[in-house]
Amino acid sequence: METVKTGLTKRNIWKLLDIPIIAAGFLVILPLLGINRTTDFIIFCVFVLGFNILYGFMGRLSFGHMLYLGTGAYTITLFSEHVSQNPLLAILASLVAGALIGVILGPIIVRTTGACFALINLAFCQVGYFLVLVAFSRYTGGEDGMSAYFSKLSFLNFGNRYVVFGFVLFCLLLTYYLLKKFTSSPFGVLIKSIKENETRVKFLGYNTFTYKWVTFIISTTVSAFAGALSILNYGYATPSFIDPSRAVEVIFAALIGGSGSLYGSIIGGVVYMAISNYLASYVPRWEMFLGFALLVVVFRFRTGVWGFIVGLLGRKRKALAR
Amino acid sequence: MIQTIAYGLTIGGILYIISIGLSLTFGTMRIVNFAHGFVYTIGAYLLISALPIVRDNFFLGAVLAVAAVIPISYVIERFVIRKLYGVSIDYAIIATYAVVLIGVDLTKWIWGASPIPLSDPIGRDITLFSGVSLPMYRVLIIVLAVVIFGALTVFFKKTIVGKIVTASLEDKDAVKSLGINVDKYFSIVFVIGSCLAALGGVLYAPITSVHPYMGMMVLLISFAVVIVGGLGNIKGTFISAFVLGLVMAITGRYYGPAAETMVFVVMGIVLIFKPVEV
Repeated sequence: METVKTGLTKRNIWKLLDIPIIAAGFLVILPLLGINRTTDFIIFCVFVLGFNILYGFMGRLSFGHMLYLGTGAYTITLFSEHVSQNPLLAILASLVAGALIGVILGPIIVRTTGACFALINLAFCQVGYFLVLVAFSRYTGGEDGMSAYFSKLSFLNFGNRYVVFGFVLFCLLLTYYLLKKFTSSPFGVLIKSIKENETRVKFLGYNTFTYKWVTFIISTTVSAFAGALSILNYGYATPSFIDPSRAVEVIFAALIGGSGSLYGSIIGGVVYMAISNYLASYVPRWEMFLGFALLVVVFRFRTGVWGFIVGLLGRKRKALAR
Repeated sequence: MIQTIAYGLTIGGILYIISIGLSLTFGTMRIVNFAHGFVYTIGAYLLISALPIVRDNFFLGAVLAVAAVIPISYVIERFVIRKLYGVSIDYAIIATYAVVLIGVDLTKWIWGASPIPLSDPIGRDITLFSGVSLPMYRVLIIVLAVVIFGALTVFFKKTIVGKIVTASLEDKDAVKSLGINVDKYFSIVFVIGSCLAALGGVLYAPITSVHPYMGMMVLLISFAVVIVGGLGNIKGTFISAFVLGLVMAITGRYYGPAAETMVFVVMGIVLIFKPVEV
């Protein structure tokens, strides 16, 4: 309790400085990886954040989160083609689309838990993949995908890689900040209680359905945001943005980082991207390696990297106290 | 139209054979066994490897392939599934998915990634009535599915293993408190379910081509079968498999690419009216 009262203890500084620390972290890896890869990493971290709000905080594992990423990606592309090439408006449109898909699918999806929740998401993702790849291929370009063009704004020229990098980093920090506020609010506490024991939360008189629905919408919106940012970065939308078989990537990233922590999501996102970008070129049987790594994480290393660090620090503190 | 219905019943028969194992693991352990899709794939590949050994005798090849799946599914059960009893559902899903990743890569390593076509082992058509003819092979599948349904019904009603599993589906703890090692019987059921999945793969192989990712889509569809039929409900799985098989065939007749998607639409509708409590 003593840490709560005093203004600036060690812990509090750590908590207050998290946004500068994340920003500094990405600026440090920027020269190491090059601008394209770092931008990629940051966008993936946004996606992991969106996924983890559902998985880590509410305890619902979705196996079809690519659907929401793809929704964002295709909305921004189609918007830039048919409506307006203003990038900010297009991003706004994909945020709205992400929220809308959460609003529509939410009532069906959030009523289920566990395995059903995972697979219903996967089933819907499969439907979305089909729609993009076959049914609406006239508009989406089918397997070939389609390009997105954005007009230059006076203050934001997305043709410049560094502007994209700065904008994406700003978006990550903004998402992080908003989700941090969200998870530490009473609403966020309730979400975590639903993860622990939904029956008790219901017993306390809360309508858990609404809370789950709203969290689901937030998660889909953030995921769609990540999708929109990737299009801003690549300039090209392909069905791989909505491919159900890629769903495991974000799950793995959330697990590596340690679910239930926003820091963990970002660490997990970076670690996963590093593995998939670099290890894949050294290890020939890449899928098999990923499989064994997942088994190790599930059976031996359940708290993830961030949980491991926290546990290590906690042990050290205990040892010092003794 | 009758032709379409007959084709739908074939798909339903195969779906039933595959889904029953999934339904049992889902009903007993409350986990989605992604590895089921992999076992289905490996069944088809083992058939391909077994055929040259038995001089292209399809029946012997099928028996060999299904028998070879027993040790594989036992290894999966012993080293992955058994460790997941009582663990959070999410980890169970992820761990079985990891098995699929390893398995698919192994398949690609051994057999290569390109699809392998197989021909219809019987090749003769049978005329049912008034000019509706159907490949003999497909009729056999429907008959086989009904036979397996009958055999499983007897198994779960008459044998002691079946009775224990049926009781555990209702209340696992109560059965445990009678001093019965439930997990042991679950592993038997798991192996039976896996063998049936492999049989499904074997039966489906001549109808489509064999490729490493064939299990994923089938797993999703049989998941829909299990949801529509009710978890661990043996009779419900039977009915929903045939209904969804018909849905696939009839949709496929009018708009081919939407056949699989339609199954999920049906599942979504069922879930709206009948939420599943897991």
